[in-house]
Amino acid sequence: MYASRNSAKCTKDCLCLFVCPTGATDTETGQIDAERCLDGCRLCVDACPSHAIFLVMSNYSEPAPKNSELAGKLLELCESKYQQEKAAEVIITNAESTPKKKLAEALRRSFRITAEDCAREAGYMLPQSEKVKKLLEKFAGINEDAKSALEGL
Amino acid sequence: MAYPSNSSLSVIFSNLQKASEKQQKPKTAELFGRLAVDFDKGSSEVNDFVGLKDLVSNELSEKYPEVQAAADSVKDRGALRALVWGQKVAAIQKSLIDRYLLKGDELLIGKALFVCEACGFVSLGADVPEICPVCKAPASRFSKV
Ligand code: SF4
Ligand code: SF4
Repeated sequence: MYASRNSAKCTKDCLCLFVCPTGATDTETGQIDAERCLDGCRLCVDACPSHAIFLVMSNYSEPAPKNSELAGKLLELCESKYQQEKAAEVIITNAESTPKKKLAEALRRSFRITAEDCAREAGYMLPQSEKVKKLLEKFAGINEDAKSALEGL
Repeated sequence: MAYPSNSSLSVIFSNLQKASEKQQKPKTAELFGRLAVDFDKGSSEVNDFVGLKDLVSNELSEKYPEVQAAADSVKDRGALRALVWGQKVAAIQKSLIDRYLLKGDELLIGKALFVCEACGFVSLGADVPEICPVCKAPASRFSKV
């Protein structure tokens, strides 16, 4: 387990700097140094007046398997939204006015966000899951990033 | 295991990028981000709002009922939640396109577009919504276009 800081809630009261036994909370990035964190001793979690720090598991158990028919249909929905995103991109490129470009851009982002939600519910929620690892394995031989991502998980 | 088709890979990876950011793993997030770009190879025959509106309409009338039935039959609560949000957002996407087709650029005069990063809801108004009407996310989850 390791501590993690939600920077949107951090009010820079800095109690975490003074209670941490390893100095893991004092970094230049605004994020707690997970490698120095003592397997989540949680002193900082309890000290933070803004509830900005939470603990994250280092190892997650496998999520409950998704019904495969439903997962397949959710991926189809994901593809359909991806197609809409591509159409929005073409409209952005060809747009003859700024308002038109902006509307297409808003829709493009919206299609991506809803598509991602479908992908999550199709079983690609947790990076550490077997399903994600299998997918990365498939590309590890041809794609360096897939290989490094797999090694990191 | 059945692998996802090429046209969902970029989305799967960009989603995992966000998941890794939430788990505070910037290195993994960066790798997934690159994969999302690498696999973003799609293209579109549809090149105008009329065609895009048809895509969204067809999805609402043809695709959603099928997925809804599958989610209902196994009572997958996460999927049911995604379908509730997704259908509301798609209906709004469609209505925005409809209104633009009717009024053109005038539709956006004096207004700005905000997208909810949590559910994809698109808001057209003078100000950012206080709370997302679809998923109840606060104003801070909206990004301005
Ligand atoms: S104690 Fe909480 S509010 Fe203060 S600096 Fe640490 S995380 Fe931020
Ligand atoms: S959980 Fe403990 S070791 Fe880890 S950052 Fe917080 S105070 Fe430091």
